[in-house]
Amino acid sequence: MDKMIEIKNLKKNYGKNEVLKDITETVNKGQVICVIGPSGSGKSTFLRCLNVLEKPTSGKIIFDGQDLAHISEKQLNVLREKMGMVFQGFNLFPNMSVLENIKLAPMKVKNVDEKTATERGKELLDKVGLLDKADQFPDSLSGGQKQRVAIARALAMDPEVILFDEPTSALDPEMVGEVLKVMQDLADSGMTMVVVTHEMGFAREVADEVWFMADGYVQEIGSPEEIFEHPKSARAKDFLAKVL
Amino acid sequence: MNKLKQFILMLVMMFAVFLPLSNLTVKADQTDTSLEDIKKSGKLVVGLSADYPPYEFTAKVDGKTEYVGIDIEIAKKLAKDLGVKLEIKNMSFDSLLVALETNKVDAIISAMNPTPERKESVDFSDIYYSGKQYMVINKKDASKYKSLADFKGQTVGAQNGSLQYNLVKDQMPGTTVKGLSKLNNLVLALQSGKVSGIAMEEPTAKAYVANNSQLLAFDPGFSVSSDQTGSAIAFRKNSPALVAAANKTLAQIKKQNLLDIKYVPEAAKYMETTTKNNTMMSYWTYFAKGIEYTLIITVTAVFFGFILGTLLSLMRLSENKLLHSIAVCYIEFIRGTPLMVQVMFVYFGVGAVIQSLPALVAGIIATALNSAAYIAEVIRSGIESIPAGQTEAARSLGMTQKDTYRYVVIPQALKNIWPALGNEFVTLIKESSIVSIIGVGDLMYQTQLVQSATYKGVMPLFIAMVIYFIMTFSLSKLLNLFERKLNHG
Repeated sequence: MDKMIEIKNLKKNYGKNEVLKDITETVNKGQVICVIGPSGSGKSTFLRCLNVLEKPTSGKIIFDGQDLAHISEKQLNVLREKMGMVFQGFNLFPNMSVLENIKLAPMKVKNVDEKTATERGKELLDKVGLLDKADQFPDSLSGGQKQRVAIARALAMDPEVILFDEPTSALDPEMVGEVLKVMQDLADSGMTMVVVTHEMGFAREVADEVWFMADGYVQEIGSPEEIFEHPKSARAKDFLAKVL
Repeated sequence: MNKLKQFILMLVMMFAVFLPLSNLTVKADQTDTSLEDIKKSGKLVVGLSADYPPYEFTAKVDGKTEYVGIDIEIAKKLAKDLGVKLEIKNMSFDSLLVALETNKVDAIISAMNPTPERKESVDFSDIYYSGKQYMVINKKDASKYKSLADFKGQTVGAQNGSLQYNLVKDQMPGTTVKGLSKLNNLVLALQSGKVSGIAMEEPTAKAYVANNSQLLAFDPGFSVSSDQTGSAIAFRKNSPALVAAANKTLAQIKKQNLLDIKYVPEAAKYMETTTKNNTMMSYWTYFAKGIEYTLIITVTAVFFGFILGTLLSLMRLSENKLLHSIAVCYIEFIRGTPLMVQVMFVYFGVGAVIQSLPALVAGIIATALNSAAYIAEVIRSGIESIPAGQTEAARSLGMTQKDTYRYVVIPQALKNIWPALGNEFVTLIKESSIVSIIGVGDLMYQTQLVQSATYKGVMPLFIAMVIYFIMTFSLSKLLNLFERKLNHG
């Protein structure tokens, strides 16, 4: 299988606090990886290191043949286009309509013309089931709708991989389903995805691989069956006993 | 440690500004090219404080405001004899010597007494007029004050930096001296009982009394030497050629007795006419002009202050240590010094390097530089109020830092800080009144002109207050309207 992201000896400290201790893993093309683990285990930090929103203290993040941790700001911007991200708090731009949220980056970063960007934006909104909300502002949307717009916004840049940082954690329970549905469709279409999540059901059903993180390390990797039915490490057993 | 470094950097920056200035003033007085310089430039710039009738004051001539009085006539004659045009700069009396030394004016003709102290820093012509030193009091106190000794335990007013100020201080032990820069305000102080008397020159004292029936003037018996009583023209140090030319003109005036037969009676006539039509309505053009200048200064200062302020706030938020430190130093320094000092520094200090800097431009520059520091902090707080997630979302889409600021952060920040920015604008309308001290014709300055032209103190102030309030209040309302639109859009 082709490699999408190679993580080599990734470490991240905040002062003396070591959040990521030493991570070496590979994300393959087309894979859906769910990262699970207890709070404070470094899952989100790990994900944010992948597109260098957090600068790794040491180690390499190899994507498209380049080490993201050691390239210029300019090159990093180019590579970030290909690596979408969906946040727990949606982070939609409140001063723009839904459609403008989606059009902004393609037009400013890729210089796509207004007409093409609008067409593509509407197509994506249709895909996440929100075409009728195109001209509304984010404030008037529900949490689930906001997150679907955020996914459409990430897709508008035609990324090769999308990072999801606890995409359903800020949602009311009845809205989790609509977001997971969109993510499942995306997985089915062959998108490479790295998903930090507490939705064990989703991980079990959609993931190709589950990474269990604790104490700044990836402790265990396996298929959903392996991790959920036969966890090897004591940390994983302990964690799963609590959440399942 | 970091704070210490910033402090040192600030000191270094200040020295960098001051050193070239001090060099320049030293260089200025070497050879005497004073006369040639003026002939070359084709104009004689005379500084004066036009609140001192009958020497210099303002009057309406054919509907236009003009400077009139004995000193003005002498200035006109001197310019004519030199074959150049006359330009008059009106400013507060205590700014005149600085203005002369920093080349803002070529001469001071402002009833200035050639005291030994002043002679050390400037050259004087011969004395062209000398009057006695009088005391002006409220008429109702006529029986109370008859000599200098009667003022014991009282407060007596005098114009700042004037001979009279020193006389009161030296010859009236037990009397407190209160210095103000404008005679109008001193008269106000007298009438409201803040001071018991005002020391001023005989002709001026008589002029005030002639126009205000509640006042009385008398000679309290100051002992003054002959070189202190008279008025003379002041020039920059080491300009004997110019002094000689001026003495020639003064000698002619004396020979033809122009003062007694022409200048003084004319001045008296102007004073009478102004007294006759000194209703406030007839001075509405003054206030209109003042509003115009105040608005020009404020709008221009806000405009440039906003541009510079945005730049400073971005510098302050920048990861570049040097840019950050420069911005911090600038903002802290400007916010830590009074606008009044900044205005005078720009006009007299920076103006010493750039000779042709007009007072209006200096006033605008100082106000803009000042408001930039405050606007920078407003913008910074606005930018910092935008959640980090907004930047992260934009950056994760591949947008550059610049585009992220431009399309995502700044538009949202502006919306948040709109009320604070509007406030700054409103504040600036009021604060800009400070520029009147360097003679910019803003509303406050015009108000002072009206005060001296009408011999009325309170009414012009009241009108100015109402005008300022109308301006700030309607601006606030206008900004509210915009704010509501912004929130809907």
